Amino acid sequence: MELAAWLILLLPLISSGLIGMGAFRSKAVSAGFSIGAVTCSFLLSLSMVANVETLNTSINWLAIEGLKFDIGLQIDKLSKLMLCVVTGVGSLIHIFSLGYMKDDKDFSRYFGFLSLFIFSMLGIVLADNFVMMFIFWELVGVSSYLLIGFWFEKPSAADAAKKAFLTNRVGDFGFLIGILMVWILFQTVSFSELQLNVQKEDALMLSGLAGFLIFCGAMGKSAQAPLHVWLPDAMEGPTPVSALIHAATMVAAGVYMLCRVFFLIEGTWAMEAVAWIGGLTALMAALMAVQQDDIKRILAYSTLSQLGYMVMVVGLGGEHDDHYAITGVAGTDAAMFHLTTHAFFKAMLFLGAGSVIYACHHEQDIWKMGGLRSRMPKTYWTFLIGTFALCGVPLFSGFFSKEAILVVAFKESIPLFLIAVVVAVLTTFYMTRLFIVAFTGDARSDYAKHAKESPSVMTVPLLILAVPALFAGYFNMHEPDPIILFASVMAVVFGFLFARAIYKNADKDPLPAKFGIFAKAMNERFWFDEFYQWIIENVQENLARITDIADRWLIAGLLVRGVHGSTELAGRLLRLAQTGNLQTYAFWFTAGLVAVLVFALS
Amino acid sequence: MNYLFFIVMLPLLASMIVSFIPGSQAKAIRNVTLGASGLSAILSLVAFCTFQVDGGLQFETKWIWVESLGLNFHLGADGINIGIIFMGAVVAFASVCCAGDITHRVKEFYVLLNIMIGGVLGAFASMDLFFFYFFHELALVPTFIMIGVWGRGQNRNYAAYKITLYLSLGALLALIGLIGVYVQADADSFSIPDLINKVKEQSIDESAQKWIFPLLMFGFGILVSLWPFHTWAPLGYSAAPTATAMLHAGVLKKFGLYGLIRIAIPMAPVGAQYWLGILAWLAMANLLFCGLVAVRQKDLNLLIGNSSVAHMGFIFLGIASMNIIGLTGAVLVMIAHGLLAALAFGLSGHFYQQNSSLDMTQMGGLLRKMPLAGSAFLMAMMAGCGLPGFANFAGELTIFFAAWAAGYKLITVIAVWSALVVGGLYMLRAIRNILHGPQGGTWKNSKDSSPLVTTAFGLLLALLLVFGFAPNLLTKGIEIEVKKIVYLVKPDIDEAKHLDVVTR
Repeated sequence: MELAAWLILLLPLISSGLIGMGAFRSKAVSAGFSIGAVTCSFLLSLSMVANVETLNTSINWLAIEGLKFDIGLQIDKLSKLMLCVVTGVGSLIHIFSLGYMKDDKDFSRYFGFLSLFIFSMLGIVLADNFVMMFIFWELVGVSSYLLIGFWFEKPSAADAAKKAFLTNRVGDFGFLIGILMVWILFQTVSFSELQLNVQKEDALMLSGLAGFLIFCGAMGKSAQAPLHVWLPDAMEGPTPVSALIHAATMVAAGVYMLCRVFFLIEGTWAMEAVAWIGGLTALMAALMAVQQDDIKRILAYSTLSQLGYMVMVVGLGGEHDDHYAITGVAGTDAAMFHLTTHAFFKAMLFLGAGSVIYACHHEQDIWKMGGLRSRMPKTYWTFLIGTFALCGVPLFSGFFSKEAILVVAFKESIPLFLIAVVVAVLTTFYMTRLFIVAFTGDARSDYAKHAKESPSVMTVPLLILAVPALFAGYFNMHEPDPIILFASVMAVVFGFLFARAIYKNADKDPLPAKFGIFAKAMNERFWFDEFYQWIIENVQENLARITDIADRWLIAGLLVRGVHGSTELAGRLLRLAQTGNLQTYAFWFTAGLVAVLVFALS
Repeated sequence: MNYLFFIVMLPLLASMIVSFIPGSQAKAIRNVTLGASGLSAILSLVAFCTFQVDGGLQFETKWIWVESLGLNFHLGADGINIGIIFMGAVVAFASVCCAGDITHRVKEFYVLLNIMIGGVLGAFASMDLFFFYFFHELALVPTFIMIGVWGRGQNRNYAAYKITLYLSLGALLALIGLIGVYVQADADSFSIPDLINKVKEQSIDESAQKWIFPLLMFGFGILVSLWPFHTWAPLGYSAAPTATAMLHAGVLKKFGLYGLIRIAIPMAPVGAQYWLGILAWLAMANLLFCGLVAVRQKDLNLLIGNSSVAHMGFIFLGIASMNIIGLTGAVLVMIAHGLLAALAFGLSGHFYQQNSSLDMTQMGGLLRKMPLAGSAFLMAMMAGCGLPGFANFAGELTIFFAAWAAGYKLITVIAVWSALVVGGLYMLRAIRNILHGPQGGTWKNSKDSSPLVTTAFGLLLALLLVFGFAPNLLTKGIEIEVKKIVYLVKPDIDEAKHLDVVTR
């Protein structure tokens, strides 16, 4: 079984390597390698679930006296669940891409990058120590960079890729410092050893600062405020990439990591920071989603908001109990539950959006769609299921996982519970808006009028994903709490009624006229990007400018030219003595002789 | 088998052969040089693979030269320099591959290039203080001439002049320091191992160590562009011909660091402890200051030059940490950076050859135009901003841990910021400006790299990846030798490991 575990990780790397080494010449072979690798990983993951309780295996990567970094695989309940999500959703998205990317001239490169991404993501999932996690953390960052900037000739895509990578790097900075702090405290980076040490020595309780710094890594990858700005821009990548990376996997990595190292932050002040950052991100992103017009951007903000939910509930913690099947803690269990259901239905929504975009000739503005219901029935129905799941309509998967979050929030913090309910209302509101505008009513553009259902290579993955989006919730049901049940059903009902009242038969968005500045703030994403742009232009650039000037003038100029100048001056002065006149030389010679004599005799 | 002798002598032999070939036979000249450096690279690979990790000094050649002075021609390799020599020989071969852009006075250029290669490799292989210094000067003098005669741009005379001034000053300070060591140790031999044994038994007077060490630290430091003596580097490299920049930035520059580790610290351990705190702060300045300067550059070569200076900060920081992890990481980064710097300057040389300009604001979309060179450039930039999988990451990570353990917490935080964020910023800007976006106007006719040049890039990248995936290939040997040095400074074992600084 150890070999199988290694193969899960390595197959996508091998595929990516082969494509890079030459298989890229043939589109079919590249796609074959890539899809073969990820499906094999998926099948092997399933066999892990069936056959293996826990498994640990490692090889050494770097060992110096006093420092030991391993590449080790840790297979337990948490990683098995995540493995299935990543490779399962990943396989379907690979297949969907066959259709979506069919005509792209860089088809092979696309599949090479996808494989590289799957490899990096599986590394995070399987990691049994902090350093390995950091290594794959960075690799996920770069493969996401490559995929967002896949259409690199388009300036907006190239800029978005750069922004995503750098924003993630800011988070990684905190993450690495956090790892250093943990290492110096416990002399190890291995999760299992850390867990033992934490339990053994209460006195060595980790400082909240270290916990918070580690959370910074999650803040970058899971796009939590204030490092959320890269995710909406990342929609510049191909839509299947948005589905895979920016809905189901990479952005979930932060939440997964928090669950993995929850024992390190539990009980410190970092917990509260995590909870509140998550809650506020959820609220803010939901507000932003209300006023977006680009179908992918609405989904992107929705992803931010749902990730905020997950992070919030991790931070809330909750009780330890064995009936929380995955992690044994209420908060992290709810987070992983929601992560799983969200991966399915959000990936499906993104693929549905991809199908719509494909049919409408890459039109992404929902106000230029409309009436797609009759023309794209499969996409319509699956999108409806996804919307229901996301809104938390009872009996759909999202309903159960969202309820699990609300239960924990209700017990641990009433303010955050209220925020979570408001977010639920907003979620239903913006999803209903999206749905009504894009799929019902009359077609508002020629493209929408002539849209045709996508080919089956794209609709079949949608239909397959609809199954877990419907039923994934039944695997982890708990007894319902009447108050929570009431709150969540009411949230859906109100959100739906508001949105229906406003957007039924609307040709353009009526909200900006009604709410003015507030709607504009939501549309402009509360000016975060402008603020960062200002900081970069005024602080970072000026700092660089000052150092550059200092480098050029003070050090290079004054010092070097000073040495140069004084040497030359000395040369010029000495040249005055060299007149070429024999008598002058004779005079100086005699004068020197006299001086030496005087000195010697006195 | 004394591989080292052949590795060092083959290029020098080639320079003699080339000097007898008529200048019109450019092809023959190039082939002889390629053959010699290729053969020496293959031999270095064999040496690297057959090297016994715990076997001490190996592949020795020892000829007595002036017995009364204790002057010997002594080559040998241990865990520290075997990797550097291997890297150096590969970089030398790659630089010859990339030297096809030289079209006038070809013969003279290749004579000098061969001498430079022989000098570089000889300096790292020498176990005798005299030849250690002699080979370095043998490599340095051709550098100045090559920049002055075959360099680019209007600034080349100023650059050649500046680089000469700086490097001569550095070499001079180091020489004074070395003489100081020789005199103070009351030595009767120039052999480096003998000298170390001698000071181990009877160390140099502490007050003398305190002035010898800074001489060596700043002397060697200037050679490695230690802040604030770094401004020669970007300017010099941007004016230098491709092959020269690759060899100097990649290999020759590491001489100063090698000297610090191999000679300065063992000879003056007390002086080292006294001064290393200052070195740590200067290392931080290298990283942050030069990183920020790199952000502002519009010329690709100035960007690579400044980033290369910034990367020296990692190595200085590793040395300043003065624990086993840190010194091992420092040598690891030396090797990784050598490969990377050669790759980056090779690529920029290829770009320059296409359009006689490296103004990044005028470039764009080159990934489509030159997929091979473009992909290599992408990977080089990624390696440069510390992406795992490349050897640089392994070394940099090790150094962060070492510096943190040594108690340089603030410096480490700044270093991590400079590496991850500032480094990412300028590397990604370079990719964005050069490879991504729509194609730049005057770059329409640019061609991808030729098979030979692509091989060179591939070779350098392959080694970066091999050492990135399996850094243990290098660190096992380095660690053994480094341990001896750290114990000279910190005789207490636990302190050397530096794992007693747990803050509870």
